[in-house]
Amino acid sequence: MTTAILPLAFGSEEFRLLTAIVIGFVFGLSLEGAGFGNARKLAAQFYLYDMTVFKVMFTAVLVAMVGLYTLVGAGVVDLTAIWINPTYMWAQVVGGFLMGVGFIMAGLCPGTSVVSLSSGRYDGIVAFAGIMVGSLVFALAVDWFPQLEWLYEHGRHVSLLPHVFHLSFPVVMLGVVVIAVAGFVGAEKVEQIYRARYGAIELTPPTTRRSPRVKFALGGALVAVALVSLAWKQAPPQATPVRARPLAPIDLAEAIIAAEPDVMILDLRSQREGGGIPGAFAVTDSTAIPVLAGAIPETRVVVYDEDGFLKELPATWPPTLDYYYLEGGLGGWRTEVLTPATAAGFGLEQQAVTERQQQIAAFFSGSAVATTVVAPPPLLPSGGSHKKKERVGGC
Amino acid sequence: MKPKSYWNPYVAGVVLGLTLLSAFLVAGQGLGSSAFAKRTVALVGTEVAPEWTATNPALGRYVEGGANPMKDWLVIEVIGVLLGGFIGSVIGGRFKPTIEKGPRISVGGRMAYALGGGAVMGFGAALARGCTSGQALSGGALLATGSWAFMLMVFAGGYAMAYFVRRQWT
Repeated sequence: MTTAILPLAFGSEEFRLLTAIVIGFVFGLSLEGAGFGNARKLAAQFYLYDMTVFKVMFTAVLVAMVGLYTLVGAGVVDLTAIWINPTYMWAQVVGGFLMGVGFIMAGLCPGTSVVSLSSGRYDGIVAFAGIMVGSLVFALAVDWFPQLEWLYEHGRHVSLLPHVFHLSFPVVMLGVVVIAVAGFVGAEKVEQIYRARYGAIELTPPTTRRSPRVKFALGGALVAVALVSLAWKQAPPQATPVRARPLAPIDLAEAIIAAEPDVMILDLRSQREGGGIPGAFAVTDSTAIPVLAGAIPETRVVVYDEDGFLKELPATWPPTLDYYYLEGGLGGWRTEVLTPATAAGFGLEQQAVTERQQQIAAFFSGSAVATTVVAPPPLLPSGGSHKKKERVGGC
Repeated sequence: MKPKSYWNPYVAGVVLGLTLLSAFLVAGQGLGSSAFAKRTVALVGTEVAPEWTATNPALGRYVEGGANPMKDWLVIEVIGVLLGGFIGSVIGGRFKPTIEKGPRISVGGRMAYALGGGAVMGFGAALARGCTSGQALSGGALLATGSWAFMLMVFAGGYAMAYFVRRQWT
């Protein structure tokens, strides 16, 4: 397994990014060479008199698929190091249909609109602007409509066709090749029939003047330089306030016994087997936000997971939120609160500590001793010592 | 200069396929295009409404931990596409500032379709997490199940809509 030498490992992300410009350049060359800068040629796919879109796309899929999985099979390529599109079935079915509708309306898809505009086509510029508008509208809509967010987020899993059909990779690839080749033969026949009706796509007449080409080149170079410099611009150093503070399990136990009203406990475990901490809200990363939005502003939030590795909140959470993380997570809770070790030593202090530990353990195990537990003074720092801002809706 | 013919589609497909393969092998990921649009929206979003952008389900991951949304392989790749398309069209004599449209539609009508169609595509590509490059081509070559569903639906959507916009093209 250690023979896999690809994909290449780069020491720095900057160097990996440099490969993008070369690969993108050849990508652009081949799209333009195929005629995909011309919206009429792309649209013709859907009126059957020029099937170049199908031919180019499926040839490319075949070459890349056979090449990649042959190398994976030979142990040269580590498939786990390659990013594979996860499947979100309904989002992809609906999004794909919309993509097709927009494709025939604009005559271009996102990638081809780039070569269309860079080969001088004004309709390519407008289509690309439209794509940005659509992306923005989606970002707004997904915030407004929970149904759309559900569609967008629902059912993520990584699935490959060989797993779905319970067939080996070579068999599936062979199937794809056979279907594609049959498609190529069919496409040639269909083209012949429909070309008689519409005629072939003629090439755009040559440019006679030089100036627009120079203007485009200068404009394009300017845009490219601006974009590259944007990408290389260092992100401004974020003033990161201390958001996460540790909290010992025993202190949390005391706070629960004291029934302090301003403590909110969030259970962030990925799998909730066995009991959690009493009074905790079981939430996931994404459902935590609405829970937090409904919290009283001065609430102290305590989060816990299985084993206390959780020291950073998900980035999608409100950035101004301060919180406590439970030391040792639920494991720490079990060993320190539910089944405490007897404190070492025989002094009065140790005896008092041990007694208190037993009282607390009894409280949480629901035994009769719980009645003797009295509320001690709060051990948590007062909630007023650190200010929290309400989550502000932007836009 | 007389424009040179477009490449043979199968030759173009092989070059495109080898490019995609090299992206997998060198960068560990496939090609893409719509990411550029989404990340540009995220960039503008961080300037205009940073908190909304950071918590937005569609944009948040691009700016996670204060990351620069434009510092991404796909963004640089699209800049390469821009250059490749320009150089290729100039060398082939196919560069021409013009508007591609059928004979039966006005310039204004064509531009309205380009903008509207672009917006529908942008929405669909954002929902599906990729476009014809990122999903159909790259995910297709990886044999990803959802990407194949996406690819079939792109063709379904295109053929379903083609009749209604035929004045634009034929």
